[in-house]
Amino acid sequence: MSMTVSRPPALMVQPASGPRGEAIRAQGLTKRYGATLALDRLDLVIAPGEVYGFLGPNGAGKTTTIRLLLGLHRPTAGRAELFGLDAWRDPVPAHRRVAYVAGEPFLWPSMTSAETFEFLARVHGGTDVSYRGVLVNRFQLDTSKKIRALSKGNRQKVQLIAALATRADLLLLDEPTSGLDPLMEVAFRECIGEAKRRGQTVFLSSHILSEVEALCDRVGILRAGRLVDEGTLTELRHLAAQTVEVTFAGPAPTLPLLEGVRVQSAGPNALRLEVTGSIGPLIAALSEHPVATLTSREPSLEEIFLHHYDDSDGRVADA
Amino acid sequence: METALLRRPAAVLARRAFRDARVRTFAFVYLFALYAYIQPAGYRHTYPTITERLSFARSFGPNKALRLFYGEPHDLLTVSGYTAWRVGGILAIFAAIFGLLAAVRALRTEEDTGRMELVLAGVVGRRTTYLTAITAIAAGVLLLWLGELTGFLIGGLPAGGAAYLALATVSVAPVFVGVGALSSQLAPTRRLALELSGTVLALTFLLRVIADTAAGAGWLRWMTPLGWAEQLRPFAGPQPLVLLLPAAASVLLLALSARIALRRDIGTGTLPARDSAAPRLGLLSSPTAQALRSERTSLLVWASGVGVFALILGVVSKSVSSAGIPPGVQRELAKLGSGSIATPTGYLAFVFLFFILTVSLFACAQLGVARHEEAEGRLETLLALPVGRTRWLGGRLALAAASACAISLTAGVLTWIGATSVGIHIALARMLEAGANCLPVALLFLGIAALAYAIVPRVSAGIAYGLLTVAFLWQLVAALLGVPQWLVNLTPFAHVGLVPTQPFRTGAAALMLAAAAGCALAAIWIFRRRDLTGQ
Repeated sequence: MSMTVSRPPALMVQPASGPRGEAIRAQGLTKRYGATLALDRLDLVIAPGEVYGFLGPNGAGKTTTIRLLLGLHRPTAGRAELFGLDAWRDPVPAHRRVAYVAGEPFLWPSMTSAETFEFLARVHGGTDVSYRGVLVNRFQLDTSKKIRALSKGNRQKVQLIAALATRADLLLLDEPTSGLDPLMEVAFRECIGEAKRRGQTVFLSSHILSEVEALCDRVGILRAGRLVDEGTLTELRHLAAQTVEVTFAGPAPTLPLLEGVRVQSAGPNALRLEVTGSIGPLIAALSEHPVATLTSREPSLEEIFLHHYDDSDGRVADA
Repeated sequence: METALLRRPAAVLARRAFRDARVRTFAFVYLFALYAYIQPAGYRHTYPTITERLSFARSFGPNKALRLFYGEPHDLLTVSGYTAWRVGGILAIFAAIFGLLAAVRALRTEEDTGRMELVLAGVVGRRTTYLTAITAIAAGVLLLWLGELTGFLIGGLPAGGAAYLALATVSVAPVFVGVGALSSQLAPTRRLALELSGTVLALTFLLRVIADTAAGAGWLRWMTPLGWAEQLRPFAGPQPLVLLLPAAASVLLLALSARIALRRDIGTGTLPARDSAAPRLGLLSSPTAQALRSERTSLLVWASGVGVFALILGVVSKSVSSAGIPPGVQRELAKLGSGSIATPTGYLAFVFLFFILTVSLFACAQLGVARHEEAEGRLETLLALPVGRTRWLGGRLALAAASACAISLTAGVLTWIGATSVGIHIALARMLEAGANCLPVALLFLGIAALAYAIVPRVSAGIAYGLLTVAFLWQLVAALLGVPQWLVNLTPFAHVGLVPTQPFRTGAAALMLAAAAGCALAAIWIFRRRDLTGQ
């Protein structure tokens, strides 16, 4: 019924990429708006097939980064490349392999979702129509409704479905699930999982740490325009503290001051300890006391994230 | 803890509403003051003696074409009478436009952007928001009156009469504030509200035109607010009781809109809007096609409006007096920039000046639509697809140019149909030429508007419309002021031949088209180099 050109599903091989083999490359990317420095010499390399999480507080420069990658705004210094093509000078060929989901759904109010899908698909140069049908069911969208009659969350779904259906080599997602209910969040994760298996690259800017933790191979943390940390979750965890919760048979003792160990009381018989570095000295100190239970867990992404925003005296820093 | 309420919320809202509109308000006030000053000053300069004034009155008094713009003259021998004639008609229209824009901005746009929702979630009720908006607009109208009065006083008109004349022109504004308020309640979007109110204004103007130019149709003046402004007769036997008409009309319209505003859902209009539809998949294959699809209805409205006007003016042209006019008077006519308007053909040629303005307005409006796409973020969605900026803006400009051609030719064809239907002999080719004559100026303003959009997108609408208004008014006024010819020639309207009575000025047209193309190319070049801006 639809007149869209149906693109055959992509084969599961490494998609073609830039001369050095990256999907996204930013070199010294800087953006100044008047007196405000929004982005400060950002260096980013994202390999094809990677799912990259981009985190940062409000106003850190995440949306600015995406705008520079899409050629919507011009870099003050440095360059951004998508698949080896300059994002500002030559955006059109790069965009054939990119699908974008904006933080807010910017769509045409008087078109229905079905018409919007058709329009975006035709301008993009084709989309996987059968997969789009699957997604419409998965996200439970009524395609006969006009955009102005849809709630913000449903408009977000329209954007998301249109982008995912293109099977584009690179998905640029700016807070794609803001406004989606938990069931749709699950559907989204399913889709990203499918994209990952097909070898698509995903650049996900999000505030939902659990989502990033579940989906992303690597994470970058942006703060005040600079990339303050980057790496896999395992790498990042080394920097943050392990949490060890200990309960004692009797009242909690006072432990000697150990390097890299921070002690908090968690009740009359319990202690919560945050350990950075080796856990050996702590085990040695605890062995002298009647320990009832001991649990240790890796830091969550939230703790890693907040760690970057702690001042030395424990206050959360301004972004 | 200190939580002092420093001012009452209503005062804060009214102040805010006034501040939001300050650029527009002061631009209009300045325009009014300037125009009000130039007319008496110019008249004194160009016709200093009574004999000159007598010959002026004899040649222009019965002239139908001038009544199109200025309404019916009552006294052309005194500075005051002449000013009342020249200023009353034109500024009344501008006062109406001011009222419309102010009302739609304060009521519909605030709602569309969600700001009214925010305010209504606080301690103020709907009645308060409505009344504060109207109060702020009323303050603007008062400033218009003061501005115009100041212009007259500096121009040397007597104080009492000047105050009454200013009141007569400004009396149209509250009525159209009412029209704008009502259409804001009916229409679900700002665009539709503007189109509705604009149509009402066009109809009122049409009625006034017919009343002033057609024999025996004088009674029509009582049917239109622009006619009421004329019936007040400043400086020619004033009839202040007529002020009751605009007063009553505005109160009625405002009360009706208030009633609707208090009852309906916020964010909607009373006119039904369908929420879902079967998919219509035509015209979706490219951004330009989709632009055409979105603009379809608007284009049709402009074309039909122009078409109806053209038809009626064609019919009305028959009643233009064809009595011989002495050649000495031709010079006087030329001073007003009117060419030979003694015959129906001449009348139509003069009337096409108005169509040139309309098509140029349309061109500026098209760039306004493009800017709206960018401000609403949809351009971001498009440019993230494989769509280049050149293709997008170029497509929009091409669409606007093609539509302008269509509208101009509609004007030409329908004027011909109207004129031929009442027995006036005029060739279709001549009227098509008249239509085509609209294009050089209109396309030039398309280029200028595009350039403004590329350089300063946020204020591009104001700049484009402002330049167009100034250019048009300058050609109405400049010759009268006795300024050197090169200064008059600054406006593109001075370089347009009044086809079909005057020849089509190919040289000037080619120059304007070249300038238009140059501006458009420069606009695209600059647009490719700037950031996308939001609101």
